[in-house]
Amino acid sequence: MNATPAIVTEGLGKRYGAKWALRDCSLAVPTGRVCGLVGANGAGKTTLLRLLAGLSRPSTGRAEVGGQVPRDDSEFLREVGYLAQEIPLYRRWSAADHLRMGAAMNAEWDDPWARERLDGLRIPLEQRVGTMSGGQRAQVGLVLALAKQPSVLLLDEPVAALDPLARREFLGTLSEAVAERGTTVVLSSHLVTDLERVCDHLVVLADSRTVLADDLDDVLATHRLLVGPRRDISAIERDHVVLREERTHRQLSVWVRLRGPLVDPNWDVQELGLEEIMLAYLSLREPAAAGPQPVEVTA
Amino acid sequence: MSWLLWRQHRAQMAIVAGLLAVFAIPVVVTGRHLSDGLVACRASGPCGGLLDHYNAMLTSVNLTVAVPLIFGIFWGVSVIGRELETGTATLAWSQSVTRRHWVRVKLLWLFGTTLVASSALTVLVTWWSNTRNALQESRFSGLPFDLENLSPVGYSLFSAALGLLAGVAWRRVLPAVATTIAGFVGVRMIVELVVRPHYLSPVYRLLPMTGPRDDPPGSWVQNNEMVHNGRVIGGNIIGVPEACSQGIGKVDLNQCMNAHGYRVRITYQPASRYWTFQWIEFGIFAALSVVLVGAALVVLRRRDV
Repeated sequence: MNATPAIVTEGLGKRYGAKWALRDCSLAVPTGRVCGLVGANGAGKTTLLRLLAGLSRPSTGRAEVGGQVPRDDSEFLREVGYLAQEIPLYRRWSAADHLRMGAAMNAEWDDPWARERLDGLRIPLEQRVGTMSGGQRAQVGLVLALAKQPSVLLLDEPVAALDPLARREFLGTLSEAVAERGTTVVLSSHLVTDLERVCDHLVVLADSRTVLADDLDDVLATHRLLVGPRRDISAIERDHVVLREERTHRQLSVWVRLRGPLVDPNWDVQELGLEEIMLAYLSLREPAAAGPQPVEVTA
Repeated sequence: MSWLLWRQHRAQMAIVAGLLAVFAIPVVVTGRHLSDGLVACRASGPCGGLLDHYNAMLTSVNLTVAVPLIFGIFWGVSVIGRELETGTATLAWSQSVTRRHWVRVKLLWLFGTTLVASSALTVLVTWWSNTRNALQESRFSGLPFDLENLSPVGYSLFSAALGLLAGVAWRRVLPAVATTIAGFVGVRMIVELVVRPHYLSPVYRLLPMTGPRDDPPGSWVQNNEMVHNGRVIGGNIIGVPEACSQGIGKVDLNQCMNAHGYRVRITYQPASRYWTFQWIEFGIFAALSVVLVGAALVVLRRRDV
């Protein structure tokens, strides 16, 4: 695995009028990683992906994707695959028409692979995509994005509208293609189980800011729930990052990201699942208080 | 890119080509009858009734005044606006072809096909109207000016550009269509009623009250007034001078008024200015098209997808 990040952003922000859709987003995704992008609705996931795809220009900060600044230039565009949330396709065209379009508009188009892939998924090439199921359309969209052989693939909630079986097939196609080619993927999703299945890296956005960007194993290894009798937690706050605390009249629960070994033996330390970790971040009142996390390039 | 355009717009092009062909058949058939008839009746006598049996055809030809709108609504709005509405613009823009190139090729298609189709139509209509013009010498004024030669091409380009801008600005087909129709009709009326009469300052001619009062042939008569010793008499009811008011017939009245210094003054654009007016009309709408295309490009660049 290459240690050079495929995606780097520094203070990236996007403002529409007076409203910030994305603010102060700094992250790095190492090459070859499959990165889950998580955040509440309106947290800026779509905005971030569009900025990375070069479909939108940042108001502040900068981004680099595959060593290039996202822009309207075929040198850049050929390196990036992008699949929008609504999976736009020409409804009256067949899948074969879309493949022909891809071949006409991309220099490095892997047509045999695309046809084989669609065959394998039993998607009829000559059927209009408007009459296909949502799962089939999503597969066609994904195959189109992959057949141009991008080095970075950006997927905006591609499985949100799919049933569990279609979701599994979609993610199967994705994992397989990505494993073959070493493509770097950023995949936004609400569905934690999907993320756990395919991702090895995690970025969490809350209130238009990055609150977490790290290796998934690291994330799982460093987040803990501490439970114990009520007491002062300033020592914990000094050494670690407190995400959330909950007090009942006798008991105290603290969600923390450990920054080192936990010295106080009086805590009952519990491991946290990905979903609980994400909920802890998404319910942060003031994200700035807990982070911004330093950018760490872990490979 | 050319394959994409062909695949995307072949249906639209086929429909317009089909409509043109369907329109061309009666135009050519009746047009030949009319021109033969004109030659025949010129040899034998007056041709006044020649057009009497061609009312349906006359109406059809007159209706082509609305054709430029079709280019705006069906081509201009949809060429980019519909792709923005359905999100397929994002699909096109995530291929390796740049947005700039995609927009350029789309514009080339829009204005190329509009130019070809509207030119074909204007050739048909202008050729068919030869007989009408020979009989009525009316191509400079009213509807015929809008139907023949260069002006319909200018209107078509303008309509396409207006549809393009509306589609890009609204990102929705329906309001863009409504905007295109309203804008097209509005601008056409303003230019026709307010601006066009002043392209060149008109010529005045005083005619005696007696004798023939034929308009100068092929000219566009803009006004027709009574003047007395060089002073325009306003209003519709003209006071008859006392000397002429007592018991005389119409001929005598005219002679009497003529003798008292009354004249008819016509305000008109001479027939020789027809092509100047056609070029000015075309130029105005072509220039408006360029402005609208520029605005559409700015809107596309300013706003994110």
